[in-house]
Amino acid sequence: MSASGRVLRELRAERRPLRLLGASGQLGYGVPTPAFNAGLARKPDMIGCDMGSIDIGPTYLGKGEVATSPQSTRRDLRKVLHGALSLNVPLIIGSAGSAGAGAHLDATLEIIRDIAKTDALSFRMAVIRADIDRGLLLEAVSGGKVTGLDDMPDLTEEEVTEAANIVGQMGTGPFRKALEMDVDVIIAGRACDTGIFAALPTLLGFPTGLSVHMAKIIECASLCCVPGGRDPILAILDDEGFVLESMNPDRWATPISVAAHSLYEQSDPFTVHEPDGSLDLTNAQYVAVDDRRARVSGAAWKDSADPTIKLEGARWIGERALLLAGSADPRFIAQSKDLLPKVAIVVRDLVCEDTPEDYTLRFRVYGVDGVRMNVPPDEAMPGEVFLMAECIAPTRERASEVVRTCKQFLLHYGYPGRLSTAGNIAFPFTPPEISVGPAYRFTIYHLLHLDDVDALFPVTVETL
Amino acid sequence: MKLSDIAQVIRSKNAGPRRLTFDIMFGSDADYQRVAQSPAISAEVIGRLYSVPAGEVTIFPYPVGRAIKIVLARKIMAGDPGDFDVYGAQQHAPLLGIEL
Repeated sequence: MSASGRVLRELRAERRPLRLLGASGQLGYGVPTPAFNAGLARKPDMIGCDMGSIDIGPTYLGKGEVATSPQSTRRDLRKVLHGALSLNVPLIIGSAGSAGAGAHLDATLEIIRDIAKTDALSFRMAVIRADIDRGLLLEAVSGGKVTGLDDMPDLTEEEVTEAANIVGQMGTGPFRKALEMDVDVIIAGRACDTGIFAALPTLLGFPTGLSVHMAKIIECASLCCVPGGRDPILAILDDEGFVLESMNPDRWATPISVAAHSLYEQSDPFTVHEPDGSLDLTNAQYVAVDDRRARVSGAAWKDSADPTIKLEGARWIGERALLLAGSADPRFIAQSKDLLPKVAIVVRDLVCEDTPEDYTLRFRVYGVDGVRMNVPPDEAMPGEVFLMAECIAPTRERASEVVRTCKQFLLHYGYPGRLSTAGNIAFPFTPPEISVGPAYRFTIYHLLHLDDVDALFPVTVETL
Repeated sequence: MKLSDIAQVIRSKNAGPRRLTFDIMFGSDADYQRVAQSPAISAEVIGRLYSVPAGEVTIFPYPVGRAIKIVLARKIMAGDPGDFDVYGAQQHAPLLGIEL
C-alpha cells in the first residue's frame, strides 16, 4: 500500500488530530534543512509545498519557463521527496514549476523522475494537469459562462485563441481524488494553494472551514510568524481548531502574527473565495498556546451555488530589449521628462525610414519616477539617476535595432543649456543594450462558471 | 506624528494582478486604536496620495490583527507594458508621511 492509502486507512480506523507540515511556500527557492528535519521528527501525516504564484507576472506562464533555477529546484524536490518517503506519508506539491501549465509541470516531473532514477527511489505518483482546453473555453465564452475578475474586460474568442498558455486554479477536489488513488506523491499544475493542504483533512471529515483556513496559512510556511520566514511550519488540526508551530525555534506563531497573515496578498481579510465555496473568517479566533504556538478556531465555510474556476492566460506581445545607462548631469536630469520623448522621435525617424513604427519605446528614470505611481510635483531632483529604455518589437532584431539607435542618440542629444557635450549618459559596461527575450501580458484573468469544477483537471498515476 | 513613527509594518503588494493592497500594522492595541479612530486614513486622503477617486478606495479595519487594510485598483495590470512594479511591493512610500 502507498502512503496516501496508508494514512487514510490509519486515520479512518482511529480518528485523531491530523498533523500537516507546510514545507515551502515557494519550492525551488530553498527549504531550510534544520527546520525541515525538525518537522520530519514531529511525524507529520503529510508534507505539502506550494511551488507557484501569479505574482511573478505573465512571462513565466506565457513562455512555459520555470522561475527557479534547475539546481535549486532539484535540491528542494530531492529534500522533500526523501523526507516524505522516509516517513511513508504523502507529498503534495501544487502549482508545479512556478505557473503550473503543461510545460512547467513536465519540467518538474522530469526532475522528479531523474531524482528517482539517480537515488533508486520507487513510488507511485499522481499527476494533475491544469491546462484548460481551448475548445471548452470558447464554448463557455459564447455561452456566457466566463466573467472578468476585478474589472477585467470580457474574454474574447481572439484572446482564447492567441493565449500562449491557459491554466485554471484547481481546488481541493482533484487532490482528494488523487489521494484516493493510493499514491505517495501528488504533483499538480496550477492549483489554489489551499487545495494542497485542505484535501487530506476534508477527505477525512475534518470541518471544511478549519481545514481551508489552516491550509491558507501553512501554504506560506512560517510567514505567519514573528519574524516571518520560509522555515517549514507544523499544523495540528482537530475538529475544533488547529495549532500552528514553526519548525524554527526562533520564529513565533503569535495570535496577532497569525491573524495578521490573513491580510497578506488578499483584497478582503475576512473572505477567501475558493472554487466550490468561500471561507468566512469573521468569527475566527486566535489564542496563544504558549509563547511560540497559536491556536486558531472559528472559521466558517459556505458552499457556493455557483462554482467557479479562476483562469489565467498570457499572450505573446513581442520581443523585449533594454538600454541601461546612468546620468549625473543636473541639467540633463532636470529636463529628462521633456528631453526623452524628443530622443524617441529622433530614434523613430531613423528606424522607421523604411519600416513601419511597429514597436513601443519607453523610458524609466530611476531616482525620479521609475517606481512610484504618483510622484509629488515639487520633489527635489536627485544627484544621479539610472535610466532604462525598454523596447518591445515584433522581432528580437528589431527591438535590438531600436535600443542601439536610442543609445547613440541619447548619448549625443543636444538640449538647451547643455554643458556636457561629449556625452549625456554613463555606461557601467558595454554593450549597454541587452535582449531579454519574449514579452507577454496577462490577457486572461477570469472566472469560468461550471457545475463540475473538478472535471477540468485529469488525474493520472505513474509508478517510478 | 507621522504614520511611520507609530506603525510596525507599512507594506504594499498585489492582491491579484489588478489590485494593490496596503497593510498597516501596529505593535499595540492602543496604537491601532489611535490611528483607526483618527480621520488621518480616509478614502479621501488615500485617493489624493495615489491620485485615484476616493470612491475606488476600500479600507478595512482589522482589529484582530491590529491592522488596517487598504485596497486600490492598479492603474496598469501587473506585468503589462508600462508597469513599474510587477509585485506591487514598493507602492507604500506615500503612506509613510501621513500626518496623524
